[in-house]
Amino acid sequence: MSDFDAIDSLLASLTPHTPLPEAPVRRDLRERAGLSKAQVARALGVSPSTVTGWEAGRDPVGEVRAKYAYLLDGLADKLTHPVPSPANEAPSAPSATPEAPPPEPAPDAGPTSDAETSVRTPGAHPDDGDALAEPQPCVLCGRPAHHQVAGFPQHLDPTQCAPAEPQASRTTTPAPTPPAARRARATSPTGRATPHTGTPSRPRSSPDPIAAAVTDALATHEGDVEAATAALVKRAIPDAMALLDSCRKGGRYAIVAHPWIPDILRKQSARGADQIWEARPKWFRPELPPGVHEVTALDINGAYLSALKTHLPIGQLEHTIGTTHDRRRAGVHLITPPPWEHGAYLPNPIGNRDEPGPLWVTEPTLRLLLRLSGPKLGLCEPPEIHESFTSGATENLLEKFRVILKDARDRAIAQEDEVTLEYVKAMYSKFVSTMGESNYNRELYRPDWMHLIRSQAFANLWTKALKAHDAGLTVVRAMGTDELHVIGDWPKVFPEGRGVSEVKVKDVYPIGSEPTDPAAAGPIDEN
Amino acid sequence: MPERTIDFGKYGAQGIKGFEAVARQLDALADFIASPVTTRRGLLARLHYLTRTSRARAAAREAGLTVTDRTLKAWLAGTRNPTKRNLTRIDTAYRAVRRQNVARYLLARLNREGRGTRVEIHPLNQSGVRPPHQRVVEFRTLNIRRWGAIVEAWAAGDDQALDDAWIEQIVDLGSQWGQYEYVTNVGFAA
Repeated sequence: MSDFDAIDSLLASLTPHTPLPEAPVRRDLRERAGLSKAQVARALGVSPSTVTGWEAGRDPVGEVRAKYAYLLDGLADKLTHPVPSPANEAPSAPSATPEAPPPEPAPDAGPTSDAETSVRTPGAHPDDGDALAEPQPCVLCGRPAHHQVAGFPQHLDPTQCAPAEPQASRTTTPAPTPPAARRARATSPTGRATPHTGTPSRPRSSPDPIAAAVTDALATHEGDVEAATAALVKRAIPDAMALLDSCRKGGRYAIVAHPWIPDILRKQSARGADQIWEARPKWFRPELPPGVHEVTALDINGAYLSALKTHLPIGQLEHTIGTTHDRRRAGVHLITPPPWEHGAYLPNPIGNRDEPGPLWVTEPTLRLLLRLSGPKLGLCEPPEIHESFTSGATENLLEKFRVILKDARDRAIAQEDEVTLEYVKAMYSKFVSTMGESNYNRELYRPDWMHLIRSQAFANLWTKALKAHDAGLTVVRAMGTDELHVIGDWPKVFPEGRGVSEVKVKDVYPIGSEPTDPAAAGPIDEN
Repeated sequence: MPERTIDFGKYGAQGIKGFEAVARQLDALADFIASPVTTRRGLLARLHYLTRTSRARAAAREAGLTVTDRTLKAWLAGTRNPTKRNLTRIDTAYRAVRRQNVARYLLARLNREGRGTRVEIHPLNQSGVRPPHQRVVEFRTLNIRRWGAIVEAWAAGDDQALDDAWIEQIVDLGSQWGQYEYVTNVGFAA
């Protein structure tokens, strides 16, 4: 590297902050172009999580900022004008390289060092897309192309290969701003511009099994929506298991479906329950503020679907005795819960248990208690752990499965496709309810997972209650898996909608009485 | 390492023989009557199962319930109650007959027209073994395509034959199959 190159790159890094679009726009641009974070990250030479950060509001600095700005600029350009014309690219005054820049490679070409290109003239590298003296027919689309790769005339920019007007005078286009970005882009590893790897295609999606099943069912029942829904709901469990299997292909962990199960997780009798306390909330606010209030009953959408993301034990549960909690493991724990002093305005995180003494709780409940007892919240004492049955855990075991179902659900909502919606709902809810000792699903025998996922749903509801309380709402009721009754301006806290991160209004009802009649105060029956 | 364990549990390992775990799982899949035979409900359910048809009666007799029809009638009517020893006999006979009846269907489901069933083998429990003597024994899975011998031996209640049939299958695990002679659990669906 010559001294001038070093100075050059230093000067380039001193350019004033290139303006970037807003964070949501960045993500939107990338998604509309069908690029994954990993692709973008590779092109910019950063990690995908950095790109995530930029799309969440963080701002890149320095040279990479210029590169990013150039990428977004290019994407916006491409998306607004499907066929980019050279006129769009404004000529820039200060170019560090006196000679014309090398021909453009495919957009996802990786960057190399600046110095390498600044001394390289077009055609210096035999494989790097030679410029042709006169246009020859492209081997891919047959229209005149100005470059050749390994002796084959072709368009280097895939958009030019599309059935559109052939571009002229690409090689003479002056470098647009910013120069650093242009130079970084212009370098291409050899052979990257070949037609197969250079195409920025959408990530190849395998044929969607959910959509296929719905189409099949509708075709079999000749468009009879009710019959098709009934048929789909009937096959939801085997379909969910097949989907789970396909999701785990190439996964890091195998799904252990039939481990040894400790006695506490076995049902005492055919109809009985096991010893696990799932901490299902069933809480009414004992005392209401005086006056009449309008209570909104909110319904958390897809509570069990969201709860599939939880720390699940992978293998067979192993017994340990001791007071410590290992964050890398998950399972069930025998704890003595701490006393709860906030029952007047917040539900007890372990639900309303009347019986005192130690109880078997699951990982999500324990983690919730540990979080609440931490220094940040300090709402209770830490729970005392006596013994545990745990195994190495991961949060990602069902993640792919969850995301596929969530996407199918979102699509169904957007298209108002009730059949798919019902089918997806049956898939995840029946998957959770039959993954234990059920005879309806013998493929999976994990009562521990069933309890953990349910508890996660309850813990999620509890967290929402805390969020409502912290935002100044009055929490009146927390019930079951997905019911939260609040007084106050809830749309400020929870967005309304049908997505999994949104809430749905189930009911609005008045509660309480005028201060003159204190006898009638208290929770009244709501429809 | 010997292929068969000579003195299992010498260093504190815990587990059961593989074939016992298989029989346990097959029993779970056979869905026996849940109520115990000591309850009136459980007793009647078993007696009804064993006396519904003449074939069932013959099978029950073969399985060791050698009582007269008069006694059976009295038990069913509730005028007499079986002795403790007869209760055990009834239960044993019920299980044997049920296994024989279920075997055909279970076999078809396990073979799945030649595709077989994936079996999870959970290794023995070494938590009681001193660390220097502990060995790495991994969780293994195996697809078993031919269940005929296993199910037949299980239905006949022949432990030795079941053990042989099971070992015949798990040698496919490779040279380490001896580590899986004793297991904590063998899991499969049907």
